[in-house]
Amino acid sequence: MTNTRPTGDVATAFALISGATVLGGIALALRKPNAPADRAQTTVRSARRLNRAAGTLAASVLVDSAIEHYRGNFHNKAMITPLVTASLSLAASLHGTADGRGEAHIIRDLIYAGAGLTGLVGTGFHIYNISKKPGRLSWQNLFYSAPLGAPAAISLSGMLGFLSERLRDNPPNKPPTILGIPAGRIIGAMTSLGLMGTVGESGLLHFRGAYHNPAMYLPVTMPPVAAALLGASALGKSHTHRPITRWWLRATALLGFAGTAFHAAGVGRSMGGWKNWRQNLVDGPPIPAPPSFTGLALAGLAALALLEDHPDD
Amino acid sequence: MSADPFLADPFVEPRAINGRAPDVFKPGAWLEMSQYDDNDEVDFVVVGTGAGGGPLIARLAEQGFSVVGFDAGAYFRPLEDFASDEIEQQKLYWLDERIIDGANPIRMGGKNSGKAVGGSTVHFAMVSLRFRPEWFKSRSQLGYGADWPLDWREMWDYYRRAEKALSISGPVNYPWGPHRPRYPYRAHELNGAAEILARGAEAMGYKWTATPLATVSAPHGDSPPCVYRGFCRFGCSTNAKQSQLVTFIPRGIAAGAEIRDLAMVGRIDTGPDGRATGVHYHRQGRWRFQKARNIIVAGYAIETPRLLLASANDRYPDGLANSSGLVGKNLMTQANQAVFGVMDQEVRWNKGPPSLSITEHWNYNDNKDFHGGYCWMAQGPLPVEWASIVTGSRKRWGAPLREEMMRYNHQVGLKMVGEMLPDERNRVTLTDEVDQYGLRIPRITYSWGENDKALIQHALGEMHRSMELVGAKDIFRQEDDTNHLAGTAKMGSDARDSVVNADCRSWDIPNLWICDGSIFPTTGGVNPSLTITAISLRTADRIKALANRGEL
Repeated sequence: MTNTRPTGDVATAFALISGATVLGGIALALRKPNAPADRAQTTVRSARRLNRAAGTLAASVLVDSAIEHYRGNFHNKAMITPLVTASLSLAASLHGTADGRGEAHIIRDLIYAGAGLTGLVGTGFHIYNISKKPGRLSWQNLFYSAPLGAPAAISLSGMLGFLSERLRDNPPNKPPTILGIPAGRIIGAMTSLGLMGTVGESGLLHFRGAYHNPAMYLPVTMPPVAAALLGASALGKSHTHRPITRWWLRATALLGFAGTAFHAAGVGRSMGGWKNWRQNLVDGPPIPAPPSFTGLALAGLAALALLEDHPDD
Repeated sequence: MSADPFLADPFVEPRAINGRAPDVFKPGAWLEMSQYDDNDEVDFVVVGTGAGGGPLIARLAEQGFSVVGFDAGAYFRPLEDFASDEIEQQKLYWLDERIIDGANPIRMGGKNSGKAVGGSTVHFAMVSLRFRPEWFKSRSQLGYGADWPLDWREMWDYYRRAEKALSISGPVNYPWGPHRPRYPYRAHELNGAAEILARGAEAMGYKWTATPLATVSAPHGDSPPCVYRGFCRFGCSTNAKQSQLVTFIPRGIAAGAEIRDLAMVGRIDTGPDGRATGVHYHRQGRWRFQKARNIIVAGYAIETPRLLLASANDRYPDGLANSSGLVGKNLMTQANQAVFGVMDQEVRWNKGPPSLSITEHWNYNDNKDFHGGYCWMAQGPLPVEWASIVTGSRKRWGAPLREEMMRYNHQVGLKMVGEMLPDERNRVTLTDEVDQYGLRIPRITYSWGENDKALIQHALGEMHRSMELVGAKDIFRQEDDTNHLAGTAKMGSDARDSVVNADCRSWDIPNLWICDGSIFPTTGGVNPSLTITAISLRTADRIKALANRGEL
């Protein structure tokens, strides 16, 4: 027996979050099915879904990097970069989500490509930061130095947006392809990889938190299954109806939002709780991080729809 | 009792009375607590609530024994009683009068004793290290000191339990010694001072690691994660620190133990059969007597022998458990010398726990011409303590002192914890002067031996080199500090040359037990608290086993 008595408010918060998540899931399940329009429209609809996914990721990166780089006091001028690129990516995604036209947009394209590059350069910066620390590539530095995986999130946002633009580039009434490969497959595969990368990041940081709450295992168990199911869909037969994959992706999308609520409750467990938000928002679990899973799950659902709408075998 | 006990001064009236004790996690809240009558013959009286007493109180109560834990100190509410003030927080130290002598008198106070429910764990630096396995057999395997009657493999298991109970935050892989299971929590982020230790160690080709600490790096129960205020050694005001006060003591109370704060035990009585019958204690202005079937003394290396010696009677004229004549003898301390310097860049060494990184290189390397080992850790003395080092050890006053203090944020340092060898001439005896309770004041006699001096010089040279290698300037050596205590009621396998056996049971009086740092035959080159906790957990298990066999 150890001192694990439930902290009253926190226990209540966790119960409320779990309840709300279940209710959210039920509400999703009771939605009216969205019947497919004509085949040309399905491609654009998938592209818009990808914009929405890219935007969700961009929003997560924007707020997360704002908080984390504020914590790092913006001591290097380059630390403003992700705020700019994520804002642009978010704007482009909003524009794309509203845009029903079946062709790529040059500005959106440039922004998404820029976001993809920013993430790569950011990863380089973060690796450089770690290499300067005593202990180099050690657990200690992976936990507390600039996070290796975080800049990849803006790359993923850029990638999803870029794929969305490529999708729009396809002529109507033909199964969409990217680089000659059926679009659903390539988007599904890339999203699956992105999910696994994000699992790595949350696994590392939840390990740093010693998995002190059992709910912390969810983001390292549910999304990998989603990634595997999606990967199998992308590589396997496209004719098949895949209700388990769809529902698992939906649950993963929901998990991203529930994660935000869990992190908010976690902030409340720090000294001073929410009354001390100016300190705890910065030092507690990152509230804007979990919706990355939502963004990627939404992209996975778009890929799944493409696979089902345009069977290629 | 004051009208509003929540605001009451913890030193004026006991707080753990009337069937309740402070809930340290909630301002103004109380825990329900069992309360025994002085005439109830309780199963166990535990004298002292620190690293030795705390786990026993909790574990024995959880096993169904009736337990009363006594502490001379106050029952603090960290959230309300602890100020961010070095001077105010000296209220946590045992500063009662003592007489110190010998060639190297030990300065008593914050570095080596505490007077509070939770003992010195309320203000300890939280460094939670395991012994090197060979130290349990120093005499036969390393050629110095004495052998412990304990097997390191068994201790390895109790260390694991202690680390779990205290939610130790430690590195994923520990670089020295046999495999140890993963620490329950991850190590804390290094501060500037800890990074400089790491750079120095790397420049010397030595391994280093983040220090395993008893302060949580993520929430645990009602403890929030550490916020790196750096006031750890003056009482943690957030309860991130896993002191006895916030871990085993609430566990013990939940399991039915009673805690008596502001209760100074002055004497143990024995009956006609030679067994201990209870304790005389001073509380609320008068002396009282608590009956008990068993008594466990856990007052640490000064108060434990003091109580045993002060309880001398016709049957035991030399004091209780003292047929070997060793009670009070073999007092050990640990060398706590330091090397300080100034960096060009800002370090801000006071941020976070004071000892965030460590190298145990010289604990595990026997290629040296003296016995014993030592480690060194990063340092972060707060301003008042730093000023006292600069004035006391470096003799800077006036303008030079002011200049020194102006560089506070650039200051950096390494501090050792070194193994001093047992010597019967280093001891605790009783004087004829009496203290505020009317109890005889202890005399503490201590001198370094030649081996101790050689070890200290070796360590100072090594730390000095490390400081030079990281580019520290104006380096100076603090040569005069000591910290933790040990010895004075040695554990052993023979009644003739030890006070207690491996179960911490005294050889002379079967229902008298001693369980704290005083039973250490040797002290090792690491901070002792985790070893005390592990032995305490083991003793609780042994008591249960003996009780089951009807051998109590």
